[in-house]
Amino acid sequence: MSAPSAHDVCVIGGGVTGAGIARDLSLRGLSVLLLEKGDWGAGTTGGSSWMIHGGPRYLEFDWNTTRLSTQDAGHIVTIARHLVYRVVFIIPVLPHDRNNIERMETAMEVYDRFQPLKRAHPHRRLTAEDARQAEPGLSPDVIGAVTMEEWGVDPHRLVYANVEDAVAHGARALNHTKVIDLIRDGGKVIGVRYRASDGSISEARARAVVNATGPWTTEISGMAGVPVRLRPAKGIHIVYPHRISNFSISAESIDGRDLLMVSHAGFTLLGTTDDDFYGDLDSVDVMEDEVDYLLQAFERVFPSIREYRPVRTTAAVRPTLYKWRRYEDELSREYEVIDHAAQGVEGFVTIAGGKLSMYRLMAEETSDAVCRKLGHQAKCMTATTPLPGNESDMEPPADLARRFGLPALAAIKLQSRHGSNAAKVLDDARGGRLVCRCEPITEAELAYAARSEQVRSLADAFRRVSLAAGPCAGSACVMRAAEVIGGELGWSASQRFDAVREFVRGSWLGRAPVLGQSAWAQEELAQGAMRGLGLNGTR
Amino acid sequence: MGRADSLAKLAWAYGIHLTRRRLTRQRSQLDDLLHTYRPDGIRALLPAERAKLPQLVGCINCGLCALAAGRMGKTRLPDLATSYMRLYARLGEASSDIEGGEPDFEAAASACPVGVPLADVAAIVRRLSAG
Repeated sequence: MSAPSAHDVCVIGGGVTGAGIARDLSLRGLSVLLLEKGDWGAGTTGGSSWMIHGGPRYLEFDWNTTRLSTQDAGHIVTIARHLVYRVVFIIPVLPHDRNNIERMETAMEVYDRFQPLKRAHPHRRLTAEDARQAEPGLSPDVIGAVTMEEWGVDPHRLVYANVEDAVAHGARALNHTKVIDLIRDGGKVIGVRYRASDGSISEARARAVVNATGPWTTEISGMAGVPVRLRPAKGIHIVYPHRISNFSISAESIDGRDLLMVSHAGFTLLGTTDDDFYGDLDSVDVMEDEVDYLLQAFERVFPSIREYRPVRTTAAVRPTLYKWRRYEDELSREYEVIDHAAQGVEGFVTIAGGKLSMYRLMAEETSDAVCRKLGHQAKCMTATTPLPGNESDMEPPADLARRFGLPALAAIKLQSRHGSNAAKVLDDARGGRLVCRCEPITEAELAYAARSEQVRSLADAFRRVSLAAGPCAGSACVMRAAEVIGGELGWSASQRFDAVREFVRGSWLGRAPVLGQSAWAQEELAQGAMRGLGLNGTR
Repeated sequence: MGRADSLAKLAWAYGIHLTRRRLTRQRSQLDDLLHTYRPDGIRALLPAERAKLPQLVGCINCGLCALAAGRMGKTRLPDLATSYMRLYARLGEASSDIEGGEPDFEAAASACPVGVPLADVAAIVRRLSAG
């Protein structure tokens, strides 16, 4: 084991909160080590609904949560301008819904008071006829609707932008690196012991250690001997590889919960469930019952939903704060910064609870607590300092496309991930050759991701640049992608095949619960394409 | 306390809302809605396009149509169905990709194993990219 490295702060957990804390502390001039056992944003963050929202449903429970959430959403929209886009919901009302149209509009009128905080437009009220004209897929039973605006974001890029900026300000950030123990000196936590992806064990000393591990909070706090109780809740989404509606749509489930069909830039997320979870946090499976629960709800407002071909599912566990008795859906997404000194453990801080939309604020308050402990006087700058890619205006995508000889659509997608840094990514001899045509993704971007964005597997590339996220689910591109990434990382031929096998097996797990009649054609093609790899046993 | 307070404020807002509804004349807000979000590319597909959408987005990217019929402008036909049909909110910025020659859509559609009506796909992409 090499000599321990020394840092001011070690942050455990590379979801959006951990990455946000690492960025915040680095901008304040502290030396930071950020450790993530999987890939950046691969846990709860990546399994979210991909939205920066103000939380209108919290109006029923706590207006302050809505205000804070909306305010922070406004900051995120400002600092990550290139990563966000408007998501507009139609909230249809059917006879016998829990809320009638007047109650729904009242809620939206109240929400409108907060909307300017995140640069969003006020709601509109639609008659049944207007609603069906705007969204012809709606059920003829709809008696009226209201609209609501939120922001969409690629959470994987948001996390990585925070990691990238933390590193640019001196942090050290390691993914695929698992903390296996906390180093203690009496009642004080003085560092961490961690295992890298090559199996080597190292130690790092830190004046403060932050536990930002989301649903894994209890596991890490247990290493320090301080209990932090959560009430983990599982949520799944069904992913369609296209926009299947003009607007995003909300629906009421059979048990009265609010569900969302979210039209993102090039795909649709339908979710989410919210169930107490007691299983293995590292192996969260989607059940066919959960898929049916979601489809049943949307069939009522959007009758053609079962005619569309889903491409996969996602599953994640929310780190909800512990409360007894309440239904899962009523639990607030509030968060808590816990300084464990009060429990006799110095040098150890936990951030528990919260949600994607408030990640920046959570990071700020956690960083404030850390700075107080360390006696470090520096103000938070993350509300106004742009994230990488948002430092300057982007050039028109057609110009970028012409300069590098790639389709304009590929330039648009590239900018949606890298913003004003898109040209830097393309500054490569490969020019505009496409690897993944559905998305589309160039060889240059994929090579850049392996070289400069810590991509170590095809699944990492899925998260970093949306490799294989389109309708063909990778059947046309993963072999070529393994060549490009393997070329950058020095993989042997067998390592490239292994990487493809691992990716295909992993993506099958997310795809299996939604394989219906129309999806089997795609599946046969994917299986046929991979048959040469000896993957016949995948299903 | 937080919840009771929230519900009380919502009840007050509800009363104000009902009163306002009684006192003001209602008008359609559909045009306002569509106008507000036009700059964001959130445009409605036409009812006829919506009715066909499950088939229009059914491409599995097998590539057979590309062998049968080539390209529309600079764009391969499978890309039209898998990529351009996905990102229709921003197609106006990618119109240069599809300017040019017209492929044999009949040959392409007859080669398609899942029955994607490629001529319809092309028509929608052209309409949306024209802004």
